[in-house]
Amino acid sequence: METTDMKITIGHLYPDLLNLYGDRGNIACMMQRCIWRGIAADTIEFNTGDEIDFSKLDIVLLGGGSDREQAIVCRNLLEIQEQFKEYVENNGVVIAVCGGYQLLGKYYKTDAGMIEGLSLVDIYTEQEEGRLIDNIVLKSDLVDMPVVGFENHGGRTYLNGNQPFGKVLYGSGNDGKSGYEGVVYKNVIGTYLHGPLLPKNPQVCDYLIQKALERKYGPVQLGPLDDRQENAANEYIYRRFVKE
Amino acid sequence: MRLRRMLAIWAAKITEKVSVHIFHRQGVTWAGKIALKICPSILKELAGQVKNDIFIVCGTNGKTTTNNMLCAAIEAEGYKVICNHTGSNMLNGVVAAFALGAGLGGNLKADYACIEIDEASTRRVFPHFKPDYMVLTNLFRDQLDRYGEIDITMNILKEVMQSAPAMKVIVNGDDALSAYLAMDSGNPYVTYGISEKVLDDKDSHEIREGRFCKCCGAPLHYNFYHYSQLGDYACTGCDFKRPEILFDGSEIEVGDQLAFTVEGRRIRANYKGFYNIYNILAAYTAVRSGGIPVEHFNDMLAKFNPENGRMEQFCIKDTKIVLNLAKNPAGFNQNISAVMQDETLKDIITVINDNAQDGTDVSWLWDVDFDRFKEANVGSITVSGIRCHDMGLRMKYVDIPSMLEADVEKAICERVENGCGNLYVLVNYTALFSTRNVLKRLEENR
Repeated sequence: METTDMKITIGHLYPDLLNLYGDRGNIACMMQRCIWRGIAADTIEFNTGDEIDFSKLDIVLLGGGSDREQAIVCRNLLEIQEQFKEYVENNGVVIAVCGGYQLLGKYYKTDAGMIEGLSLVDIYTEQEEGRLIDNIVLKSDLVDMPVVGFENHGGRTYLNGNQPFGKVLYGSGNDGKSGYEGVVYKNVIGTYLHGPLLPKNPQVCDYLIQKALERKYGPVQLGPLDDRQENAANEYIYRRFVKE
Repeated sequence: MRLRRMLAIWAAKITEKVSVHIFHRQGVTWAGKIALKICPSILKELAGQVKNDIFIVCGTNGKTTTNNMLCAAIEAEGYKVICNHTGSNMLNGVVAAFALGAGLGGNLKADYACIEIDEASTRRVFPHFKPDYMVLTNLFRDQLDRYGEIDITMNILKEVMQSAPAMKVIVNGDDALSAYLAMDSGNPYVTYGISEKVLDDKDSHEIREGRFCKCCGAPLHYNFYHYSQLGDYACTGCDFKRPEILFDGSEIEVGDQLAFTVEGRRIRANYKGFYNIYNILAAYTAVRSGGIPVEHFNDMLAKFNPENGRMEQFCIKDTKIVLNLAKNPAGFNQNISAVMQDETLKDIITVINDNAQDGTDVSWLWDVDFDRFKEANVGSITVSGIRCHDMGLRMKYVDIPSMLEADVEKAICERVENGCGNLYVLVNYTALFSTRNVLKRLEENR
């Protein structure tokens, strides 16, 4: 099957509440990198209270939000927990960033109380003293290029032995101690990296697109794109914070 | 105490004289720092010498313009005013405004003070004096890496409002977040706003803050938006709604110049940008709330030239250049609107830095609706500044080609040589000073 006959549907969850830090950039990146290859792409926004049919979705994006907004979202999420869990277990592709990453886990314990998570991945988050705010660079086994971005979180996420998204080369990562950042579980990537994540990390974006297409259509070969601008932006951050 | 204060004032004045020409605003900050070191009570003492009222201006966007305009409006009525014109708005900058405005004898001769204060710094300033009025312009997402979430800023403002219960809050009633704060604080408040729908917002994909009621958490319903989350709102779950507007701007004209009517007075200004109507309205409301005449308000506006990189004009080798600050999504979206009001062909240079004062996180660029540049008769876009790569990518993902030149001076010179003669330079915070210096120098050398 030619990729030009393929189609990807992205579900953007609760942009009315989780819309911090340029999540729109991640959507724009996935859309464009499909469209540039002739793959049809569509994004459906689900606001709080909307019915979600996961069988229609190929990639789910769960973005960042403030602690207060996360607490509101969490009430809605628990209603869709079962279907979401089934989607994940059936290798559905998920990219969860910042607050969305925290919500993947069992719980997020904050000073203001306990936010129950989706329990999609066996991880948990606890608020600790001080926020971890800075540029961040990782080495991830999923891609060749370094992964660059920005982190800003008060919660520390503990993986319970799950596979991390990457090893921290610069910055704090999950908890500021373990040297690891994010989580990978089946086709789910959870990460604190925004900035947003995907435009400067085109290989991560293509990884998600590839996994989504393979789940739907079987093995595919993604055609190359002219990534000179993306690579230059990635390399700038890498050189500035790691190499020098 | 007076001797100590005098010493502090002298030291501040010398520091400013020596350093301000080399280090610009940094020099003002140092002057304040040294004065406070020598005399820790200097701010309290000098603020106590202001004869009438102290106004402070807070809010994400429009602080400097509103505050300088308010100062000019009060001066136009014949009063002497202390003001931090340069926009140094943290504790040291506030101290400097008073210390540099005081006489060598250690005393301050001022009728009023107009002081803009960075929201997070209010906590450090309020222990020194309690203002009579606080103008609260708006709350947008800005520098999330520095301030954390917008909720944190709101908590700080609420705390300082309650620490000065007699302080009257002059609030933008069209902003649900600011209005909620004013109402929730228990402080007396006065509202300004625009009750008529001005712009067609149906195609806007702007990020809007605070879609949910701060009182009960239910979604807010909007009859219309002006821009960002400013508009006419009411909660779907409780009684919270846009408050009654006391100073209501009507018959709004937004184009090459601005005009509106308030209290039956026609106000005119020769600048662009819808957001400036809010700035003018805020200053007007503050002047009126303080019981100060507004006889010369229009004259003041006619002469008012901020000269601080807010729609500041330059001319280099027949190229008309407009420099404007754009440091967060709400500000940048308003900037794009202002650029679009000029329908002629134009070149655009963006200068984006990620220094500490800018916020080191540039992801906000992705919350700006840059795709509107496609309908703005733009001949070329050059991305410059420390994070030019991020900006270039941002453009690429809305299918807008751009040229990359990290060096601001080279970028400007190239467009002056090869551009269309109409150039907009949109810059964020620290880029403002360096870019402005380059433009001034090039203008003088031509």
